[in-house]
Amino acid sequence: MAGQSKIKRYRRLVQAAVFMMMFIIPALNILEIYFIKGTFYSIDVGNAVAADPIAVFQAAMSSKSVNIYMALSVVIPILLMLFAGRVWCSWMCPYHFIVEGVSFVKRKLGMKKSFPVHTPEKKRRTETARLIILVCFIALAGVAGIPLLNLISAPGIISSQALVLVKFHYVTFELVFIIALIIAEFVFFPFFWCRLFCPTGTFLSLFKSERGMHLKRVSSSCSMCGSCKRACPMGLDPVTDGSSLLCHNCGDCIDVCPDNKKQETLRFISGRQHNFPS
Amino acid sequence: MSLREKVKNHLNKNPFKGYFRRNRLRPPGAVMEEKFMELCIRCARCIEVCPYESVKRADLFDRLQIGTPYVYADERACYLCMLCPSVCPTGALDPNLKEPEKVRMGIAYIEQDKCLNYLYVKDENAGGTQGFAMICSTCYNTCPYTDEAIKMEQFLLPVITDKCTGCGICVEKCPTDPKSISIIPAGMGNEDLAGLYYQRSRKNFKKAGDAEGYSGDDAIKKKMSIDASGSKPEFKFDYETTDKIDGWTE
Repeated sequence: MAGQSKIKRYRRLVQAAVFMMMFIIPALNILEIYFIKGTFYSIDVGNAVAADPIAVFQAAMSSKSVNIYMALSVVIPILLMLFAGRVWCSWMCPYHFIVEGVSFVKRKLGMKKSFPVHTPEKKRRTETARLIILVCFIALAGVAGIPLLNLISAPGIISSQALVLVKFHYVTFELVFIIALIIAEFVFFPFFWCRLFCPTGTFLSLFKSERGMHLKRVSSSCSMCGSCKRACPMGLDPVTDGSSLLCHNCGDCIDVCPDNKKQETLRFISGRQHNFPS
Repeated sequence: MSLREKVKNHLNKNPFKGYFRRNRLRPPGAVMEEKFMELCIRCARCIEVCPYESVKRADLFDRLQIGTPYVYADERACYLCMLCPSVCPTGALDPNLKEPEKVRMGIAYIEQDKCLNYLYVKDENAGGTQGFAMICSTCYNTCPYTDEAIKMEQFLLPVITDKCTGCGICVEKCPTDPKSISIIPAGMGNEDLAGLYYQRSRKNFKKAGDAEGYSGDDAIKKKMSIDASGSKPEFKFDYETTDKIDGWTE
């Protein structure tokens, strides 16, 4: 499929649909339609169950027991992770959607011209740092003995607050955390929460596999123009870092790649094919 | 147990778990509080499916319980539809629990110095009936397990039995202020679990025989102030009312 790709348009569509679903699901439940129910901590579609793996992991860790409901509910997210990469973050997460809006506003205000491109050492440091932060967070939850990380899981909080808003017409204090994050997003570097701290995203990215969908330069027609680097919201170099744990398969780099118009250069692949020497 | 032992015992407990308050119940089918706090992932699905809007999301004043589901019995009680245990993804609410009569969210207990029926009997036994003719029995009438969970002794005195599910409907409907019936959450009566919040829930459980020795002078005074010979009370209607009805004379 050579030519200008429209991944971003599809992504926006999916993101908007997921964002709307947060409000529509509780409304449907008020009308006693229970086909789809839940929040982004845990959701049911018909008989298929899915739950946030880190939430279930914490519950299993603190109660030192696993039951069949917990085990079944993490199967779908982990399979999605293994096959499609970290698509939850870029295609579905409501917080990521909001933050993309924030960075759009920031660009309009002239606060930041483009996303920073990091050096390889800095990228490595980032990857190590986020894993260390995750381990610290999990240790903290282990010490407390309760699923503490769910208090800072941005997508879960947003969706449960949407539920409370639709059902009871008020919001609880947890929303303050999200507002604080959004304000911080204006102050710190773009996507600081998603990139470094988000426990949900970091835990999910552990299941990203080399054989799943990931970004790859598949042809020699790359002109090394660097436009993909500038477009990457995570500050990666898509030409080399396609299988990095930080990459969340948003596809922005594929959209901006000028070489894709002539010949397919940068694309999503799955499996260990097309090992093009760079 | 000495005070020192009590303090030591309390310090040994995990302060993040086990925080009890009267009339604040976990949804039906909840496992013991400590286990519940470990298992509950705050996914809000029990809140979502509750058709009565009984299950609410705990807010900041519930400390680290923020985000977990609660039934505030004095706002809206649980009507035992048993939808929430079936949707819990981690088993914090026992998904095998289907029968509403097996729910044990807590146990009701009646404060006899406030309950109108007890005050009436006390007054009658003392020989006076001036201004005390107020019999309520709302808790008995609203209980989903009338004559099983709540029984009337001497046809007047409501008594809780051990079949009480702790749903809190009686609390929601109780007309006195403050409520003269309240639910002690399951676990709050367990000293090991509740620590500082330990409360003896079975204070007047199945013990209603002696009508002597009730206190509650404030409640009696309040009732004494009710007077039928005074001015006509004013009621507000959102439609027009007429003072006279054609063909009728007062």
